[in-house]
Amino acid sequence: MAVKVHIHTTHRQFTDGLESVAVEGNTVGECLSHLIKQFPGMEKALFAKKDKLLNNVEVYLNHSSAYPDELLKSVKEDDDIHLVVMLTGG
Amino acid sequence: MLTPSERERYDRQILIREFGQEGQGKLKRSRVVIAGAGGLGSPIAFYLTAAGIGMIRIVDHDRVALSNLNRQVLHGEEDVGRKKVDSARAKLRNLNSTVEIQAIAETITEGNVSELVGDCDAIVDAMDNLPTRYVLNRCAIEKNIPFFHGAVNGFEGRVMTVLPGETACLRCMYRGLVPQEKFPVIGVAPAVIGSIQATEVIKYLVGIGKLLTNRLLIYDGLKVTFSEFRLNKNPNCDHCGSSAGKE
Repeated sequence: MAVKVHIHTTHRQFTDGLESVAVEGNTVGECLSHLIKQFPGMEKALFAKKDKLLNNVEVYLNHSSAYPDELLKSVKEDDDIHLVVMLTGG
Repeated sequence: MLTPSERERYDRQILIREFGQEGQGKLKRSRVVIAGAGGLGSPIAFYLTAAGIGMIRIVDHDRVALSNLNRQVLHGEEDVGRKKVDSARAKLRNLNSTVEIQAIAETITEGNVSELVGDCDAIVDAMDNLPTRYVLNRCAIEKNIPFFHGAVNGFEGRVMTVLPGETACLRCMYRGLVPQEKFPVIGVAPAVIGSIQATEVIKYLVGIGKLLTNRLLIYDGLKVTFSEFRLNKNPNCDHCGSSAGKE
């Protein structure tokens, strides 16, 4: 089941510059695990510890916030996951 | 009621069909606080002053540094070392002397935020750190004052508008503290984001258009794309939901 994960600009250093990556899984969490399997550098970019996203990482599923319990959200074929980094500058 | 001079000054925006003299009158009677006189605060303050807001209060505790000048266009080389709010007031008065500019050189805290923003019709977030943004967000919710959020990093920025009690607030997706780091930025990013924030404020005060409520707009200057994401009001939010005031 193909799902597209859109990679934030600051994370593309971990995906060989790819802006999006095709993954498989039934939940957001499974999809991110598959992403990390392909690009191990993404683990530290996304997770503070197992199943705990970093506080500055936001997940959007089909352009809608997946908060809370982002990793448990179900996905289906052709869904889009956007990984976004919260900004704090002014 | 607009004076002949005001009708002349604002002629081009009064010509906008949805705006008119009535819209200009609404701006004239409005009071707006801008939290921060830096990268975001600069375009926000310039465009709201140019548009003819009645009173603008600009709050910033900092002094101008040389490293600010790549993006904080309210300030120039002659202002280095000067209080940012004094520098800002001088530029804004020069732009539009009919707008009352209040310059407050204070740090925004839980203790003074209510006094700083409480009598305003809109609170504009032009801060450079998340903790103060949350202080402003909470106060906006408690006082039922619309809150206009913006933030930048590098060539990127984001904007959202909060109508207390009705829409998702800045805290609705909160998961915990985010480390404060020196952020990279080029001036054109806050120029874009601050201009959108000022647009939102004007639309809200005049009562026209569709606000960026329950929507997060993300701008990528490197690709020149705007992405929009839907936000949900969190019923358990500790600022605007059932958990409010339970800390």
